[in-house]
Amino acid sequence: MMHDNKPPIWLMLSISLLAFFWLIPVLWMFSLSLQPNDLLSRTTANTFLGLVPIPFTLDNYKAILDIGDTPRWFLNSLIVSGTSTLLVLATSTLAGYAFARIPFYGRRVVYPLVLAGLMVPEQVVFIPLYIFFSDLDAHNSLSTLALPRVALPIGVFLMTQFFKDVPMSLEEAARLEGCGHWRIFISIMLPLARPMLITLTIITFLYSWNDYLWPLVSAQRREFFTITVGLAKIQGNFAQSQGLGQLMASGVLASLPVIILYLVFQKYILKGIALSTDK
Amino acid sequence: MRSSPWMSHNTLSGWAFILPYLIAFVPLLLWPFFRGIWISFHDWNLLAVTFNPSAKVFIGLENYVNLLWGDNLSWSLTQFPIFRLIVTGGALYFYWRAVQAAGFNRGRLITLLAVLFVSVVLLGLTGDWYDPRFWTVVRNTVVFVAIVVPATTLLALLLAIALNRPGRWAATMRSLFFFSQILSVTVVTLIWQLMYGVRNGFIANLLAPFNIASPNWLTDDSLAMGAIAFTTIWWSVGFALILFLAGLQQIPGDRLEAATLDGATGWRKLFYIIIPSIIRTVQFVMIMQIVLHFQVFGQSQLMTQGGPGDSTNVWVRYIYQSAFRDSEIGYASAMATLLFAFMLIFSVIQFWVTKRQES
Repeated sequence: MMHDNKPPIWLMLSISLLAFFWLIPVLWMFSLSLQPNDLLSRTTANTFLGLVPIPFTLDNYKAILDIGDTPRWFLNSLIVSGTSTLLVLATSTLAGYAFARIPFYGRRVVYPLVLAGLMVPEQVVFIPLYIFFSDLDAHNSLSTLALPRVALPIGVFLMTQFFKDVPMSLEEAARLEGCGHWRIFISIMLPLARPMLITLTIITFLYSWNDYLWPLVSAQRREFFTITVGLAKIQGNFAQSQGLGQLMASGVLASLPVIILYLVFQKYILKGIALSTDK
Repeated sequence: MRSSPWMSHNTLSGWAFILPYLIAFVPLLLWPFFRGIWISFHDWNLLAVTFNPSAKVFIGLENYVNLLWGDNLSWSLTQFPIFRLIVTGGALYFYWRAVQAAGFNRGRLITLLAVLFVSVVLLGLTGDWYDPRFWTVVRNTVVFVAIVVPATTLLALLLAIALNRPGRWAATMRSLFFFSQILSVTVVTLIWQLMYGVRNGFIANLLAPFNIASPNWLTDDSLAMGAIAFTTIWWSVGFALILFLAGLQQIPGDRLEAATLDGATGWRKLFYIIIPSIIRTVQFVMIMQIVLHFQVFGQSQLMTQGGPGDSTNVWVRYIYQSAFRDSEIGYASAMATLLFAFMLIFSVIQFWVTKRQES
């Protein structure tokens, strides 16, 4: 349903204004990250409430890239999110195909069990998970940061729903020619699922990149922090507002991958969110 | 279903296909979930058990008793009188209205009885709680949810109705409002700590020309909760907006056209056609947000450290503190299990609402 194309002018104005206010915090972060630190320790409202980066400098970015742990944390986040995304893709397409298309013995027990897992949030299992990896002496490692996300059932749920809707006729033809499940999966199902796979990749990467609680608990050594946890740690020396510009530059850097993803794949992110709530 | 040789073949391939996922699911979700419940029946100190694995003591339900019970418990009619009167009266009124309009149904009666049980019985309990701090964080979490969810829902609903139209302008607005949603909690708290800064914050800068001193947004105990709630609304309005837009798309166009032909315009269309059509989506999105925001942690941990006092300390942060500062993981697990039970209630309501929607 879409109503009349032209909204009334007062509505357009007030919503555009509200959207601008909504954007101010982010604009301000960008702008502050591009202003010199000694200026920021005097005022954060230099040009037009600080929203315009004049005087302009890239020193904050140079500083955080040259010294400090930020590049390392950024890389950790890339590795952790990349790994968990790949594993989620692999495991959930396979499992989704089986749950949707193979009438195997035990499916009616296992699938509801997996779905029940949708109701268990990270906040409820993070203590036993911590104990599990402690017993294995496996904390402070990138794989420990990446693995728990692979267990979340949302990917399996999305892929199962998708494969259920693929018409049976496509598969029948292949089966008559003697193709097994593996061939059908690889050469028919996966190519069909391409848009769904993009959606899943992006929302998994996004959630993984933004995860805070698990890396906070598991990584105690600075060199294993992800960028979210690292950024949380350096917020501690906030009061003295020295290095405010660098702090903001770290914030921008921490958001850069998700912002790029959002700009390029916005359609898929919105679709993914709508789908993943459609239980 | 195919013939039996196929069955066994299917069974083999089926399990082979789900095996990689199960290798992650069983040890990293299923097992921790039950193990968490098992840990909650123990007096289990993280450090003590690290040095001596047999230092955990099975204590049955004692952790739950310590959380939920107290000494000299009694029931009082006059505790929180105004709040309880409003809730009780409101529940009875809406129940009566619903029965008048749509007749008796068992679900409504159960809901009414549950609300009455909480407002009349539970909120009347007074006494020396074994752990008053637990009740403080529960209350704070409920207050947080009670601010964030209705405000986000209302704002997102209005925006969704206004932006549910084709064209460049509406599309741009939709992406702008959704944008904050993709930032991580640490970036959001970084930005907003500075926005609220007393000396150099954005709001302080706005107030400065008028010679108004900035309030201590994050360190004044009457403002701190509102401040982190506002930040959360800013952060999460896009999520509700997207779901409402999806709901609006499903209203059949001819229904609106018919209303337009009948002369319904603007506000009438809004109240008589649009809102009734997506009322189920609204219910769904609200329950979803309740479950989501009960798990609030980062905003409280990073912006106020639960303070001032305990005024913004929340349920998950208390779990985190008990487990990783006080090392009492038995006690923390009991709290986590209670949180799960609480969220389960809402998931059941969610399921029930969705099922009714389908039938």
